[in-house]
Order: sequence, then C-alpha cells, then structure tokens
Amino acid sequence: MVTAELLAELKAILPDVKVLTEDSNVTVYPHTEEEIAQIVKYCNEHTKTISIIGGGTKSGEGTLVETVDIRLSLAEYTGIVEHTVGDMTVTVKSGTRYTELQEYLAKHHQKVALDPSWPEFATIGGVIAANDSGPKRLGYGTARDCVIGLRTIYPNGKVIRSGGRVVKNVAGYDMNKLFIGSMGTLGVISEVTLKLRPLQKCESLLLVSFPSGNLDEVRVFATKLLDSMMEPIALELFNPALAAKLLNENAYTLAISLEDVESSVRYQEEFIKRLIPEHSNLTILDEDKAISFWKQVYTAGPKGGQRGSDIPSEKIAALKIGVVNLNILEVTRECQLISDSYSVKAEAHGGLGTGICQIVLRGSRDDVEQSIRQLREFAVKLGGYAIVKHLPDSLNGKVDVWGEKPSYFPLLEGIKVKMDPNRIMNPKRYIGGI
Amino acid sequence: MAAVKTIKTKDKHILNLAAIVGGGRSILYHKEDLLAYDCDGFTIHKHLPKAVVFPKDTQEVAALVKYCHENELPFLARGAGTGLSGGAIPLNEEVIISMVRMKRLLSVDMENRRAVVEPGFVNLKLTNSISDKGYYYAPDPSSQYCCTIGGNVAENAGGAHCLKYGVTTNHILGLEVVMPNGDIIDIGKDGVADEPGYDLLGLITGSEGTLGIVTKIVVRILKNPEAKQTVLAYFDKVSDGSQAVSDIISSGIVPAALEMMDKTAIEGVEAAAFPVGHPKDIDAVLLIEVDGISAGIDEQIEEILKVCRNRNVREVKVAQDEAERGRWWANRKTGFGAMGAISPDYLVQDGVIPRSKLPVVLDRINQISDEYGLRIANIFHAGDGNLHPLVLFDARVPGETEKALEAGSLCLKVCADVGGTITGEHGVGIEKREEMRFVFTEEEIAAQTDVREVFNPKNLLNAGKLFPSPGRCVEIKKEMKAAQTS
Repeated sequence: MVTAELLAELKAILPDVKVLTEDSNVTVYPHTEEEIAQIVKYCNEHTKTISIIGGGTKSGEGTLVETVDIRLSLAEYTGIVEHTVGDMTVTVKSGTRYTELQEYLAKHHQKVALDPSWPEFATIGGVIAANDSGPKRLGYGTARDCVIGLRTIYPNGKVIRSGGRVVKNVAGYDMNKLFIGSMGTLGVISEVTLKLRPLQKCESLLLVSFPSGNLDEVRVFATKLLDSMMEPIALELFNPALAAKLLNENAYTLAISLEDVESSVRYQEEFIKRLIPEHSNLTILDEDKAISFWKQVYTAGPKGGQRGSDIPSEKIAALKIGVVNLNILEVTRECQLISDSYSVKAEAHGGLGTGICQIVLRGSRDDVEQSIRQLREFAVKLGGYAIVKHLPDSLNGKVDVWGEKPSYFPLLEGIKVKMDPNRIMNPKRYIGGI
Repeated sequence: MAAVKTIKTKDKHILNLAAIVGGGRSILYHKEDLLAYDCDGFTIHKHLPKAVVFPKDTQEVAALVKYCHENELPFLARGAGTGLSGGAIPLNEEVIISMVRMKRLLSVDMENRRAVVEPGFVNLKLTNSISDKGYYYAPDPSSQYCCTIGGNVAENAGGAHCLKYGVTTNHILGLEVVMPNGDIIDIGKDGVADEPGYDLLGLITGSEGTLGIVTKIVVRILKNPEAKQTVLAYFDKVSDGSQAVSDIISSGIVPAALEMMDKTAIEGVEAAAFPVGHPKDIDAVLLIEVDGISAGIDEQIEEILKVCRNRNVREVKVAQDEAERGRWWANRKTGFGAMGAISPDYLVQDGVIPRSKLPVVLDRINQISDEYGLRIANIFHAGDGNLHPLVLFDARVPGETEKALEAGSLCLKVCADVGGTITGEHGVGIEKREEMRFVFTEEEIAAQTDVREVFNPKNLLNAGKLFPSPGRCVEIKKEMKAAQTS
C-alpha cells in the first residue's frame, strides 16, 4: 500500500491523532491507550507491521528490518498515572522520559532503582522493553526485580494487565517477565507499575586504579571485597581504554559505589581503604562528582539512531556480554587484547558482581566485524553470550545480532506466534527472527 | 529388572513406570500407601493419585514424563507437600513424581555467589550448608525447615525477609526443566544473567508446576549482613500499629522484615509452643528487623523507636542477644500452627494490599468476622502488605466450614477491591482458582492459559490448577463444600 492511502485510512479511524510522514515512513503519535489499541488493532486486521518507538535510544538495538508500515511513537503518551507515596509504588505511562520520572519521584525522596543508559532520552517503556540496566544492578537488581505490573496492548487490540499494584503477588503466571526485555515483539506496553526505593541519604564513589595492568591484583582485591560484609551498590571494572576516556587514567579501574545513610557510607569507605592493594591508587569522589561520573558512563555508548561519529572512517558498534560474574575479568582482558591486535578501540566496563559487560568498539568496518566475532566466540567459550546492541549501517544484516538460538527456541517462537499470530509487532527484531 | 518382579499388579502403566525408576521402593501404588499423598498443606480437597514414583535423577524424570505424555497419563511433581493452596493435590488421579530423592546440593561457588541444588533439597539446609563461610540463601518461607527449593520455585515462595530481599524469583539464576513432553531444557545456564530470549526463568518460577518440572536450580546466595537488630513494639490500637508501619517505610528505611500480629493472633502464639510473654491486652505487636552495615544500624533503630513513640506505642524493646531474637522469630514463624491451640480448625488466607490501605482492610475483616460469627486472627508481613487472615472455625459444627470458606474468600475480595491481590506467596492452586476472577478478566486469564498451551499443550501436567474453569464457578464451590462436609 502506498503511504498516501495508509495515511488516509489512519486519519479516518483516528481523526485526533497526529500522523507524520517522512521518507515514506508513517509515524503516529497517540495520546491515549484507546488510540494505541485502535492503531494496533487496525494494523493486525490489515497485517500492517509496526515498530514501537520511545525515546529512540535503542533504535539501533535488535535485528533491524528495512521498513515497517507504521512507526508507533509513544513520545506523546506520557505522565504519572498514580503515585502512592506511602505504598512506594508508581504507575506511569510508558512514553514518560526516565529522568522526568526520577525527578518527579525525587521530590518525594523516592526513586526507581534502575540506572539505564541515556536516561534523559530513554522512556520508561523502552527501558523495560529492552530490559536495560546499569552497574548499580549489583545493589538494586534489574527491571525483573522492580516491575510489579504492566498494561500491555496485545496485537488484537485488547488491553491485558499483568501483575498488579502491590509489591508481592503470585496470582497466576508472572506475565510481567514475558514483556520485560521482549523488545516490543509481543505487544505495546502502555503502563508500567514500579516498586520504588527510598532515595539514598548519602552516596560516594571509590575509584581504585591498577597501573600495573595486572588483572590478578584486581581479582584478589575484588574477591576480598565481595567476601566482606560491605554492601557496594556497584563494583564495576573499566578497561584502560574507557578509563582513559572517562577518568584520564590509562589503567584498569574499579568503580565502587556506596549508597546508604552517611555513617554507613563513611564506615565502608574506611573499610575499603584498608583493603586497597599496595600498588594501586585510590580516589574518592563525593556525591556530586560521583553522580556526574555515572552520567558519563550512561552516555558512553551510542545513542540509538545516531550512527555517525566525528571521524567518518570510524565505525561504531556496541556489545553486551553476559558471563559468570568474575569472568568479567577475562572479558575485559580480551577487549584489551583485541585493541592490541586489530586497529580497534574497545572500551569496556563490566560488573564483577553481575557478570554483565558493555563494550563499545570503534574502528574500521572490517576490524569491528572481526572483533565482534572474536568477542562472541570468547564469551560463548566461557559459557556466556554476546548481543550486538548497535551496528554501523554497513554491517547491518552481516552480523548476527543475537547469536545462536537456544535449544528451547521453539518455546520462544510458540509464545510469539500465540500472542502475535500475524507477526506485526517489531517483526524479526528479536532472537531467531521472532 | 529383579526389583520390578516385586510389583504385584496387572496395571501395565504401573509396571512400566516402575521399570523406569528401578521398581521396588521407588514406586507406591497400593491404596494404603497412596493415602499420604491425597493432599498437601491444603487439606480441604483430597484425591488419591494413581501412583507415586521417586526418580533419582533428571534422566528418570524425563523418562517418566515422556511415558506419561505418550500414554496420556495425567502427572504432577511434588516436593515436601507443604504447599498451602493445593498445588500438589492429584485432582485427576495423577501419577505423582516425587522429587524427594533428588535432594543433593550439587555445587557452591562463593566467589560468584551461586549454588546449584536439586529440587528436593530443603530450603534451610542451603543456608545451613554455607553459613560457616558467612553466606545464606535469602527466601525464608515459614516452612523452610522442611519445604524444598523445587517447591519454592513452583510457588515463587516468599517469607518474612522478602520485604528487603525479594521473593524466590529474585534469587533464581538458572533452571533445568523437564518439559511436559519429556524434553530437557536448560535456562540461564550456569546462572549467567539476562540470557537473550523471552524470560522463561521468570515465567516458570511461580507457575505452580503447570509448565514443566524443575530438576536443577541455580540460586543466588548472599553474604550475611554485618549487623542485625530486632525490635518488638506493642500497640494498644491496631490503627497506631499500622500507622507506624507506614511511617517506618516512608522515613526511608527498608527494614529486612516488618511483621505484625493482632490480638487474636497474639492469643494463639502465646498459647502455643513458643510463647514470649506478649501482653494479652494489646491490639497489635510489630516485629521489626533492620540489617546491613553496622555503622548505619543504630541510626535506623533510633528512627524506628521514635516513629513508634510518636504512634503511642505502649512498650518497645530491642532484642538484647541472638537468643532473644530467635525466640521472637520462633513465636512469629510458628504463628499459623499456633492457631491450633485456640481453635479446632483454621483456614489460612494470603491476600496482599497496598500498605496504605491496612487500617481500612483490617476494619473490613473485623466486620466479616462479626457477620460470620467466626474469629479471624491476622498475621501479616505488614511491610509488603501481605495479609494472612486466619479464619478460626470448628469443622464439627455443621455448616461452619462453609462459613469459614466464604469468610476467607470475602477477605480476599476485600484485598482485591482496594487494589490488592488474592495471593502473595501461597499460590492459587485449587484453593483460589475462582478468586482469580477477583483480579483478572476472562481475557487476562485466557492470555495466561494461552501461554500454558505453548508449554503444556495436552494439559496432562498438573491440570485443573491455577485457573478457574470457564463457567464452572458454582459447581466447584459446591464440590468444595461437599468435600469438606463428607
């Protein structure tokens, strides 16, 4: 169908909804859940494909198909639906910007305990749909731990609630989990209910750098800290390339985040000081500096659609690697080796208590491609996985974004087909082309 | 095959199942042996299974399941049988696959904070096995001394300390599962986080044994908190107690546990095996525990004491040592059973409400108690709004069981009506199938049974649980009453 016809039909069924066209792309901007449902239902009945867009920060993530019929933007579907301060829960429309939500909650000394990338641009719906998380997941967990309810519009246009508004709930299947990280391939999340945490009363950041480059020293220190009764919120290792960029220090650097009442934070700082190995350097950042350091970390990777870089010949890719926690040491070492053997810059940080590593690769197209393959092989050999979160245009379709399908893939496909039989939602974007 | 010869039956299925598990003592099929398996912790419904088999490893489970699948035999998995909602009751004359022989702790990896257990491994044994190194497993249902981790996964079990540390699903890193057709799948292998693909780990946890049989579990283990303080606070008015709960939470403290008992519950626990001398004339007791870095604890305890005093607390005290703390917890954790000391029978309910609705819900429950002429004791995880109304009744009095069931169901309705839910940790099972309609529409229930169809298309695995049967609401209620009065 040509764009003009589709446009006319959409206008007819949704006279009040903004519809924009740009380079043969039709984008709709619903303001209400009913409007979203009508759009989805229309697409399902006419087998039109949809991609869902929040802030666009993850538009480079997943297998990207050339065209869809309709881009469903949730940019204008925003706002807090309900916030019961005493219950420490909030219900929010999915198009709400993450920072906007946090700023609102901060007035009540509360927060969503997630630290996703590009928080000023990302929407809460996008964060949940992509299951994005940051280094502080060590202390606070992920979307799996804080989402307690969702309203999801199924491809048939029905609104299906999962979970609820209470923090403990085992009525029926835990359907929330299906949508978290599903990359919009099962339905459109319209409302999210989250369990909140009190805003920390005090925060600090300890940076321990290891100029010797000896990762065994890092391991010994980290395992001592992990085996102590200290409660770091993040224990994130930065490889020299990334540490040089963020901290101007070309050495493996461990970032230890502390958040608690002040007496506890100071006590932990003193405890950790005593653990610091001889040849390493310690810097303690106060609250403001800690916050601005983390901001830099959250914006270190590519921001969705923005594919370019300052240097035209330099291509950028981003990877997420998951391994057993302490194998992060091996993964960051491998990144450094890759930087040495190809003309690629591999900037990596990974959690020694979480096993999740984020890597940005910069270099020529061929070197970036080769590095992705090598890192994936390495992760798989360690029993983990590698997901490509961003690719340069020239590698689109040439690199498998998700890696090998799991043995239980038929179950994943079964779920997809059951919920989206016409395969209209974000087609082919997820693992195995679902 | 020698062992199989000891099997005295002509039923070919029994013989074939016996052959899979090596016969002899690994299968029960005589009626007198099966009686112990006709219900679990939910005793109102009773049905005999066809047989009970005791596989020793994943391969045997897979072979048993494959056999049942091919021969259209209904089957279900059972752990210690402590479930409170009837999830392990063989409604359809199932073959019960008991996981109790698969009870090994397979590995512990302190550095990466994970342990691998078989499903029959008892919850508390895990903490006991690693406590010398300063580690523990967080989910702590009251039955933890005997319930199995496999059963905890099926029910997504909670416990007193899940306010701060989360429920079972927050601690499961990987599962090996035998699918309803006998295939073996491995999810979240080795406990690696965020494995790509829809989150089957999260979906299967809490699916009450209807999507597959878990045969291996990778769990997260935690380092013990450096310090721990426990407070007991007595209130003359329930409303003051529940206000104190709200105030503690809104002051920015995340207690490890925040438990409450009302007057009737206090009467029960004081008459039972672990009395601690709670005053008889108070309306509410709060048990509050704070843990974490030692340097921050005193500050939090001070804040809690202040909050309690502002809410007219009659007496508030901090546990002086581990022994005292242990006594307070034993008193609380045996609370359900303690009702046996003041009532011939009791029915446990498991609603959840938004914390802020606590006073109004308690009032409503009191009204229900008056309307039905039955005492209702309230024990709850107040911090996360998980209420356990215990309806006290005497089954020997004609009609009283029905009244208790109705009163219990009404309590759940009250929870649902204030924006809560019908179960926080005990599961739906048989007990709350119809109450699912209090919280979900037909379409939302269908969305869930659609998922079940993907995993369990023949519905041979634990059929008849978790979801209401369309249009059969009235019949089932009648059946439950009949079962009780017979």
